[in-house]
Amino acid sequence: MLAGLLPAWAAVSLVWAAPDSLYYEARPAMGTTVEVYLYAAGAGRAEALFEAAFDEVERIEAAFSTYRPTSELSRINTYADATPVTTDPEVFALIDHALAYSRSTDGAFDITVGRLMKAWGFFRGQGRYPSREELLEARKKTGWAYVTLDSTARTVRFGKMGLQLDVGAIGKGYAIDQVARLLRAQGVEAALIGTGQSSYYAVGAPPGEAGWPVRVPAPFDHAQTLSTVYLRDAALSTSGNYEKFFELEGKQYCHIMDPRTGRPVEGMVQVTVIAPNAADSDALATSVFVLGIDAGATLLDEQAGTAALLVTGPKAQARVVSLGWPEEIAEGIQ
Amino acid sequence: MKRRDFIKAATAGAAGVGASMIGLEAVAQTLEPRVVAPSDEIVVGVIGPGSRGQSLMRRMLRVPGVRIGALCDVYAPRLTEGREITGEDTPVFDDYRRMLDEAADLDAVLVATPPGLHAAHMTASLDRGLHVYGEKIMGFTLDDCDAIVAAAQWSGKWFQIGHQYRYAPWYREALERIKEGEIGTVTHIFGYWHRNYNWRRPLPDPTLERFINWRLYRDTSAGLLAELGSHHIDIANWVFDEIPESVMGSGSVMFYQDGRNVNDNVQAIFKYPGGGTFVFSSLIGNHLVGYQINIYGTGGTVALTLQDGAFYYEPARANSAVPEELMERGVNTSASLSTEGDMPYRGPGLDIQTSEADADPNLLAVASFFDSIRENKRPYADEIIGWNSAVPVALGNMAIRSTSHVPFADHVSAPRVNVGRGE
Ligand SMILES: NC(=O)c1ccc[n+]([C@@H]2O[C@H](COP(=O)([O-])OP(=O)(O)OC[C@H]3O[C@@H](n4cnc5c(N)ncnc54)[C@H](O)[C@@H]3O)[C@@H](O)[C@H]2O)c1
Repeated sequence: MLAGLLPAWAAVSLVWAAPDSLYYEARPAMGTTVEVYLYAAGAGRAEALFEAAFDEVERIEAAFSTYRPTSELSRINTYADATPVTTDPEVFALIDHALAYSRSTDGAFDITVGRLMKAWGFFRGQGRYPSREELLEARKKTGWAYVTLDSTARTVRFGKMGLQLDVGAIGKGYAIDQVARLLRAQGVEAALIGTGQSSYYAVGAPPGEAGWPVRVPAPFDHAQTLSTVYLRDAALSTSGNYEKFFELEGKQYCHIMDPRTGRPVEGMVQVTVIAPNAADSDALATSVFVLGIDAGATLLDEQAGTAALLVTGPKAQARVVSLGWPEEIAEGIQ
Repeated sequence: MKRRDFIKAATAGAAGVGASMIGLEAVAQTLEPRVVAPSDEIVVGVIGPGSRGQSLMRRMLRVPGVRIGALCDVYAPRLTEGREITGEDTPVFDDYRRMLDEAADLDAVLVATPPGLHAAHMTASLDRGLHVYGEKIMGFTLDDCDAIVAAAQWSGKWFQIGHQYRYAPWYREALERIKEGEIGTVTHIFGYWHRNYNWRRPLPDPTLERFINWRLYRDTSAGLLAELGSHHIDIANWVFDEIPESVMGSGSVMFYQDGRNVNDNVQAIFKYPGGGTFVFSSLIGNHLVGYQINIYGTGGTVALTLQDGAFYYEPARANSAVPEELMERGVNTSASLSTEGDMPYRGPGLDIQTSEADADPNLLAVASFFDSIRENKRPYADEIIGWNSAVPVALGNMAIRSTSHVPFADHVSAPRVNVGRGE
């Protein structure tokens, strides 16, 4: 009887008053697993927050995925050869941001690298050595400098036939940032959002903690910890040559391309970058991986709130390099 | 004279003509819609930039020559979010009447508020001489539906309803081939939209429950039949080229007894005058079936999803050869029936191939709306298409709530023409 007298949202309000507990959900998205940890007052509220968070991931994937023919990026890739394609401010801004990285890295970061990735067999595959013709053909269809943006008309135009945009090296980070924004707007004070363990963004910190603990593994033995970061209102991304690679005649070829040479990057094993947001940590991790120590350090110097931990190879002469890394680094770790 | 003044003058003159449908149509003809030249920018005002409104705004901004010129919402965070999408300091309003009065440069309005507000927002926009892209369901009540049709026809402006699947290339291809008889005569359509999700949105503040979770309460929501089923009803209308003549239904709150009074599972059976039947099922506590619309004909089936579609063909009857041994051996009797022939078909279908790469139905729908404005041509999914799905929703809910069989003729008269209109 009493139940009938309570307002319709009583069930929600009662839960509201409970102290926050930690909830976790992971779902497959963006070709990887997206994980969300958050503190909420009750499972009901957590469930609604997860649903909204994964809806946002889906929204971004639907706009940016090159695996989906219906995405906005696929539409741009289809038509920008022939005509300037008008797009919405969000899509335009992310492409613009990515091209700014291409400029500041002199092409080490390049969202037109998709054809090269395909030639090296890293699109839906584990990689293979391309033929000379394949490589030549792919290089002809690569080059960020051939992408023209008109910010007044908000158009994207390709100055070269066959160019293809792929925001894979910045898009996942961007998606994490957007989920963080959404959760903050919903009043969430502590959350950790991650994609496939390569990027994380931390909203606040768990109650009573300095930050969300994120472990940077030792590249040659992932069970060991190279460093632990307590992340708070910041992002961290890791690029590693072990994520996807193939071996040929004793040599390892990784999935991170140096667009300037048209070949997989050599000599770098793992790069972890901390930045104020995940789109930047994501793009910076790839950029520094390609640029190497010195140019990487210069790039990070230009951006406030960034730091990096690099491991260079080969394994026998592995070297750990800190570029302003704020946490302790384990010694003698492989 | 400015366009707005012209329209004011024209509408003031029109008021005396009388309210019969014939009279309204005659008036509409005297109100020449402004033809927007292909080079002109089209400026859109948005009433209700919530979840759906924002998603359509992004699509609209992908169409060349379209600008969002005003945002109206009673909930301030939506205005901030809307401005993030436009990337500009778009003028904002907390009252749609003020937006319609003060935003002088508008050509069109997007209405994406909860359904109970559609009639007020859509008719006011049309009355101001603006084209309207109106979200489904077009009207919440039968009177709302009639009022919007009348306002669209009286204004002489274009109205497009948010049934974007009408613009999906694989739907259009399927419909064309169905009309050509590829699956024989369509007798039944089964539509499912099953999910496993409680339909609750997160609240930044618990006092906002009724406002944000309007879908869960009857006074603001027509439930699953409207939010999910109206798209299927529209497809069934399109296939049968009619609207239903009666409906029965059932539903309950089964999965989520959390204070909501909108059913979390709904089943409805619509009968069409030509003998066709459309069966709809939606439940939000089990995901197995997902979204499907299966169109059954005497010669085959079309299965449509949110991303693709396929054709299946029935085995030809009465043409298989009789095995020769039969006459020698006779047939065996057996206690158990062979199950083989009654197993579900699990093989592949013939996928529907379409050439368009930009197959996002939402983008195609809004782009087509702007084409209608520029080229002064009637939208494909117009106010009649909107009426034709919104009225079955209203009567379907009547059937569900009263657990009775509801003949349409007892509640609505106007026969609705051109149900499955081509381009
Ligand atoms: N075509 C489709 O596939 C599709 C998909 C989703 C929703 N929809 C439809 O879109 C409409 C909106 O759904 P939603 O999910 O976006 O809901 P929502 O609650 O997210 O958005 C509704 C917006 O209207 C605003 N609003 C409420 N009252 C208002 C008023 N008096 N004046 C101005 N603004 C007001 C709210 O603040 C909110 O921003 C519904 O009719 C729904 O059926 C259609």
